Amino acid sequence: MEDFLLRLQESDFGMWVSSAPTIFAYPTILMLHTVGLAMVVGPAWLLDVRLLGYGARLPVETLRGVFRVMWIGFFINATTGIALFISEADDKGLKWIFWVKLASIALALVVTSRLRRQVFSVTPAADVAAPKARSLAKASLVLWLVAITAGRLMAYIK
Amino acid sequence: MLLPFASWLHNTSISLALQRQVAWLWPFCETLHFAGLALLLGVAGMFDLRLMGFMKRVPISVVKEFMPWALVGFSLNLITGIIFVVSQPAQYFGNPTWWVKVMFLIIAGLNAFIFETAYGRRAAALPAGEDTPTPLKIIAAVSLISWAGVLWAGRMLPFLGAGVGAGL
Repeated sequence: MEDFLLRLQESDFGMWVSSAPTIFAYPTILMLHTVGLAMVVGPAWLLDVRLLGYGARLPVETLRGVFRVMWIGFFINATTGIALFISEADDKGLKWIFWVKLASIALALVVTSRLRRQVFSVTPAADVAAPKARSLAKASLVLWLVAITAGRLMAYIK
Repeated sequence: MLLPFASWLHNTSISLALQRQVAWLWPFCETLHFAGLALLLGVAGMFDLRLMGFMKRVPISVVKEFMPWALVGFSLNLITGIIFVVSQPAQYFGNPTWWVKVMFLIIAGLNAFIFETAYGRRAAALPAGEDTPTPLKIIAAVSLISWAGVLWAGRMLPFLGAGVGAGL
């Protein structure tokens, strides 16, 4: 396992990301990872607080489109995340906090897809969220916060 | 002029107190800064997209009801941002990229002020399905670009221009 992580990190691509002397390598990839974060988590939280009853004048049906923004953000972050991981595979891959981050993202994705089915399988979507949708919205709020926190702590926890 | 200010700030009791703080204060504030960023950009970005003519089904007044959440995100980031600057003033004042960030923040702020004072009411009166007039589209585009600039400069801080003020 460690051997594999080290080979990843020392691949041409991994070395380019981590040490090419240009801001278009590591710094820009890291910056795009933050853009993607905002595109995934911002709309997710917006939908969550609406389902929990905030801003009830906004028809839930009108939020059907947020998943498109989230998917674009998720695509950006999966791509940049893989590149960042490769460049530091032997470091990040051995950190428990990294696996907490991945697990919370995986769970958040499951919750999001169930939330989508629960709320948007009917047209128009109901304006008062069912208890199950509310629980999913709460789970989504918390899981994305855990993912952000774990992601940030990757720079600190050895 | 700035460097003396930075070293003065560095020696104020509040800055010294922050510097002596528990090790987790900095990562804790960073985490809040990222969560705040997602709230601010997610919510304000959606509003900007509506002003640009996307999601026409939604009346602008209704999207605007979510703007307090963008303000929550902004306040989180302002408070944590002040904590960063007060505890390590030279690291920021001495970094040109930080000034780029401040410049984009000022543009975003002025732009929001112009929107509120000159177009706020007119925008809120636009019904669902209606396209927005060109000035609103421009304001929304300036908003998106300037917040992207804030994020870009913020994330580039450690890589671009860092060290210019080091050793202060």
